[in-house]
Amino acid sequence: MRYRGSVLFWQLLILVVLLASWEWLTGIKAISRTPGLYWIDPFFISRPSLIARRFVYLLSDRVRLNLWQMTLSTVQSTLWGFVVGVSTGFVAGLVLGRNDRLARIFAPYIVAFNSLPRIALVPLITMIFGFGLVAKIVLAWTIVFFIVFFNTFQGARSVDADLIHSARFLGASERQVMRTVIIPSALAWTFASLTPSISFALIGVVVGEFLGGESGGGLGYLIIQSLGTLNAADMMVALLTLGLIGIVMALGIKQVETRLLRWRPEYRKSA
Amino acid sequence: MPAVSGVSFEIGDEEFVAIVGPSGCGKSTILNMIGGLVAPTAGAIEIDGRPVSGVPANVGYVFQKDTVFPWRSVRRNIALGLEYRGIRGEAQARRVAAAVSMAGLEGFEDAFPATLSGGMRQRVALVRTLVVEPEILLMDEPFGALDLHTKLDLHAELLRLWGERRQTVVFITHDLSEAITLADRIVVMTRRPGRIKMVYDVKLPRPRDVIRLRETDEYLRAYGEIWHVLGEEFAREKAR
Repeated sequence: MRYRGSVLFWQLLILVVLLASWEWLTGIKAISRTPGLYWIDPFFISRPSLIARRFVYLLSDRVRLNLWQMTLSTVQSTLWGFVVGVSTGFVAGLVLGRNDRLARIFAPYIVAFNSLPRIALVPLITMIFGFGLVAKIVLAWTIVFFIVFFNTFQGARSVDADLIHSARFLGASERQVMRTVIIPSALAWTFASLTPSISFALIGVVVGEFLGGESGGGLGYLIIQSLGTLNAADMMVALLTLGLIGIVMALGIKQVETRLLRWRPEYRKSA
Repeated sequence: MPAVSGVSFEIGDEEFVAIVGPSGCGKSTILNMIGGLVAPTAGAIEIDGRPVSGVPANVGYVFQKDTVFPWRSVRRNIALGLEYRGIRGEAQARRVAAAVSMAGLEGFEDAFPATLSGGMRQRVALVRTLVVEPEILLMDEPFGALDLHTKLDLHAELLRLWGERRQTVVFITHDLSEAITLADRIVVMTRRPGRIKMVYDVKLPRPRDVIRLRETDEYLRAYGEIWHVLGEEFAREKAR
């Protein structure tokens, strides 16, 4: 890849400049008769040094629920929500995509449910599934399912009819047509929905954790707890960790995608 | 208006028949009826005396469009027909390897179709169809999208493969040279609704040299005669 070195250099430079100016700007005392006033108040946006200290502290065993456990809880729920959502969405998309009658029957229900803001479901899901892991997974699932469903549905419908015909002429049964033509063809569409799916799974889980309280655990809980104690540094720790989780998961999906879609010309260079 | 009307002809065993005609004359419709993709509204298609309903088992079809599966390597594309028949392992590998060398695709076994030229992809499509040894081969302008050089290459290839195993071939084309180069018999269709205008017996001996045969008297005579008939059709089409 070209520019690799210079791109990395600029990326790091931006990060350093950003952190340094953050640290510096939040350290400037305002010229005022009232003591303790800042030009840019670290009370609201905290400071890198403070965040780093809280980060280390939250990782330690001096807290009841440390950052490691919370991260694990969030990641675990996200992955479960993602896996369950992708697999059910994929199967439903395939079935309805290849069956016009079923697709017509279910269309209004799917559209109606999908246009419901999922956050509005949180209290109901909590009522049914309580405050734990399951509620978070269910919430992530309600979002991921539809993203994957719509993509797979579209993919299953737009399978090239001539590919199906050639398979039949080569002697394929209905099942074999499904396995060797429709599924691989639809998978390309499904994959396009995986990166947004993991992000939305994370959103679902964090929203679930906002309400879930300590028993649900997770980084969403850390954010809400920090709001209660007006602790911007802890909030920043949670946000940065969430950002890291997001990046790692997106990279993981990219890896799988590159491997499975290596037949496509646009993936070949990176494979 | 029906695509074809009153079309009736018989194709002999191991015969190579080409169907030519202006676009929209229903050439492809005839092929799709033989292949069981379309049912005739009247009349019948029979193979070995049995009427066709659905895709027949002993028929291979090569489409004009690229129908090589893009997510499968060359090897796995060629293996498709064997896989569908439950032929696996050693037996499959042996037959695929034979097909690969038959098509001159050695060294490209693990390549994905996107890395191949149009000519090579059509070669894969052709041997993929031949590897399961169909008795009848239906070809719908299979080389229509290729440049002349690649086309001539594939003509030679097809004639060689057909010479080895002699399927019954129905070949649709709008390229008259192609029809004369390949076929024993050429069916010339009228404009829509397609009827049979003329049946021409090509008297070129086999094996044929796809380059040299274009300089023979029989080629020129065939070309002239069919061209004249097709010209009439074009004129009628314009006059409408």
